[in-house]
Amino acid sequence: MLERKSALRFPLVGILILVVGALTVGPVVMLVVGSFSEGIGALGKFTIDKYVAAYTDPVLPKTLLNTVIFTIGCASFSTILGGLLAYLSVRTDIPFKGLFRVLPVVPMMIPHVLFAAAWITLLNPTNGMLNLFLRNIFKLSSGPFNIYSLGGMIFLEGMLDLPVTYLVISPAMYSFDTTLEEASWVSGASNLYTLRRITLPILRPAFLATFTLAIIRSLASFAVPSMVGLPGRIHVLTTHVYRIISIGWSPDYGRAAAIGLIVLVAAIILVYLYRYLIAESSQYVTVTGKGYRPTVVELGRARYPLFFLCILLFCFLVVIPLATLVYMSFLPYSMVPSARAISMMSLRNWHTVLANPITVRALKNSVFLAVVGASLAILLSLFVAYVIVKVRSRGSAFLESLSFLSFSFPGMIIGVGFMWFLVQTPLYATIWGLLVAYVGTYLPYGIRPLRSAFMQIDQELEESARVFGASFLQALKDIVVPLLAPGVISAWILTACMFIRELSVSAVLSRPGTEVLTVEIMKLANDGLWGQVAALGIIMIGLSTVLVLVANLLRVPLSHAE
Amino acid sequence: MQGMVSVKNLTKTFVSKEETVKALNNVTLTTPNNRILTLLGPSGCGKTTLLRCIAGLESPDSGEISIGDEIVWSKTHGISLPPERRGIGMVFQSYAIWPHMTVFGNVAYPLQIRKTPKQEIEERVKKILDLVQLSGFENRLATKLSGGQQQRVALARALVAEPKVILFDEPLSNLDAKLRESTRQELRSFLTELAISAIYVTHDQVEALTISDEIAIMRGGVIVERGTPQDIYLRSNNPFVVDFIGRANFLEATVKGYQDENHAIVSCALGDIVCSAPSDLAPGTGVTIYTRPESFEVAPSSSSPMENEFEGTVTDLLFAGEAHEAEISVGGARILAKLKFHIPLKKGDKVRLHIDREWCRALAPGEEA
Repeated sequence: MLERKSALRFPLVGILILVVGALTVGPVVMLVVGSFSEGIGALGKFTIDKYVAAYTDPVLPKTLLNTVIFTIGCASFSTILGGLLAYLSVRTDIPFKGLFRVLPVVPMMIPHVLFAAAWITLLNPTNGMLNLFLRNIFKLSSGPFNIYSLGGMIFLEGMLDLPVTYLVISPAMYSFDTTLEEASWVSGASNLYTLRRITLPILRPAFLATFTLAIIRSLASFAVPSMVGLPGRIHVLTTHVYRIISIGWSPDYGRAAAIGLIVLVAAIILVYLYRYLIAESSQYVTVTGKGYRPTVVELGRARYPLFFLCILLFCFLVVIPLATLVYMSFLPYSMVPSARAISMMSLRNWHTVLANPITVRALKNSVFLAVVGASLAILLSLFVAYVIVKVRSRGSAFLESLSFLSFSFPGMIIGVGFMWFLVQTPLYATIWGLLVAYVGTYLPYGIRPLRSAFMQIDQELEESARVFGASFLQALKDIVVPLLAPGVISAWILTACMFIRELSVSAVLSRPGTEVLTVEIMKLANDGLWGQVAALGIIMIGLSTVLVLVANLLRVPLSHAE
Repeated sequence: MQGMVSVKNLTKTFVSKEETVKALNNVTLTTPNNRILTLLGPSGCGKTTLLRCIAGLESPDSGEISIGDEIVWSKTHGISLPPERRGIGMVFQSYAIWPHMTVFGNVAYPLQIRKTPKQEIEERVKKILDLVQLSGFENRLATKLSGGQQQRVALARALVAEPKVILFDEPLSNLDAKLRESTRQELRSFLTELAISAIYVTHDQVEALTISDEIAIMRGGVIVERGTPQDIYLRSNNPFVVDFIGRANFLEATVKGYQDENHAIVSCALGDIVCSAPSDLAPGTGVTIYTRPESFEVAPSSSSPMENEFEGTVTDLLFAGEAHEAEISVGGARILAKLKFHIPLKKGDKVRLHIDREWCRALAPGEEA
């Protein structure tokens, strides 16, 4: 029996390694080969010209500097705020804790492009609504805020990373043994001394891990740098690569690959650092006994001011951008709410967007990619997760590290790798090409939640079904599948939402005929058609919201797969 | 005086969504100086809450707590010293060893806070680590030690600053059975040697009996009895205490008369027996008497019947290693007797048992278990 199974499994592991390897390592190999090739039509003709051109580019030092400031700024901003939110929600008596549970779901609903678009219409220096409003009140000659700045970019990207940092720090706060602090007080230490010598040092690895993850994400980020940075002429590495392949008369994929490789290498190093730090921080989790009820820190007078701060953050993150988009979608151009503005409201933007064959095609493509792409990705992830959890062999360990490694790959760079690959195949410029690239790039996000779903099903549950007379398939059907179903549905919905809001891979690979929503939104924003951006954006948010609501209806917990 | 903890009329209520629990109900207690007092009781009896109130980790609702000569918490005087200013040491159930520090770092911490000179810190830490037999472990990460060693780090940390009183919150409950036994003995000898005032919380009665100079038994937020381990185990008049500490056979009995001031003759399922009893029971009063299983002996067969001898039938027999645990049916009652293992016994045997009058006690009527 055992021998028969392992004989069955062996080719499965081999096939999976081939498929996953092709999808994750494949584009990286193509990226490396491409960077040494003369051109996209001349793959393999060796040259180092691309490296020379890429690294002698006079704008590169400034771009690198911007990237460093941008990533460190975002990571600091989001780690500090995320840490504060996690502390407040886990350790204190702050009111309405239920609100914090909404936080992780937020980024699934509001795509980064739209978040940026909403804040641009509020804070752009010439006619941002908030700027106009403040100018009128304080009689200023110009608006006080300029979103087209490094500060503006850091603010937006930092806010967008906030749910992730919150999610990563929270478990560390939960598992923090409060008697460690009590032992310090009893030893004679004050609150402040305890914070400095005990609490913060113990949480340090968790904070550093979070910081590293935020760096990885902002390094790979494309939506904010392209929406805000390009008009503001503040270039970071991702937008630099994008400019190389999209601006001018001859896109140079070789040069893009040569630059992209350093981003990729940096991301891989960072993700290993992240893994090390997470392991380090879990070492600090001390196993407590029966445990006394954990002491809840009473905030006292600070309770409501801090709660107000959380509400404010929530408004910045969700309410203000959403309200702005809805409002803008009815207006011909941005104006401060007034009687005149209301009188000018119409459905014209909606009509225009829905009458435009290109946006309609983009809508159809995005839905197709979400539904078919998520299904394929989850199917593949199921097999991979099964092999990782249930088949303990060198092959499965290799699969695990493959899926972990590609977790760090920035979409924009991997998109360039896929470009080099797809051009060699008939898939190039077809929707199937995009599909392959989506599945390959975001496979880890499907594998990780499914892996934990498999791990939660104790082997003994299956074994006891066998002992009580069920056959292998019967046990699978009666025990494993019902227990696994919520995890699978949840992973499918997460992946589908992710594909709907996908931008960085699409920005590289989308061609006339294979338009997708996010890229069209970006183009409309470039043309300054904010009303249409808003209308199309709301349709897009509607799609994700329907999926999240379905998940709610099915009572599937949406664990974010970061 | 130095390490005496005095608690007056302490009350603490926990309110949650589901229920309101009176964890401490008007508790008054003075601990002995340089002795070990154990708070013993089932879970939820309020013992840990009382300890945490003394430590300052929990705020009572009303009452007063003083440590030594100093009032550390008082509702009426509006005094509430934070834990760091109460001059105590504490050993936690989870040990609460700081995972980012070495053994030395953990133990030196209380001294560093007190701004002790570096030289002196090193000497004192070394001395205390010698005492708990952890010399040579100074530079190890504390979390890399075994459970028993971590426990000793926690003890060293609590001792190093020479606190007025040390509080122990179930410190042995995370150790395995064998280690717990040896650590118990070690701990007892440390504490008596150093003549330190200690308050020790546990739910384990054997631990309480072996480690304490005095035991206070708690139930439902109230101290129901206090005394030396011997008093508590052998001479308690509280049915709850008798039942909670060790095992006991309870039998209904009727007073027939008195043999002397402290010993009554009662009639029960065992026949007429002499037992120690309160001195003011009228003949004919119904009482409950209790016996400990290990106080029964098999009567020597040759001699003439002694006082308090009776015959029963073995209805069930368990071999428990160091003894037989026999269920014996006598006069319609069933009693549990722990009999020496070298006496051959089997189910259905008739056996003559004897119990000393001192180990057979009548409880004053009216006390409900």
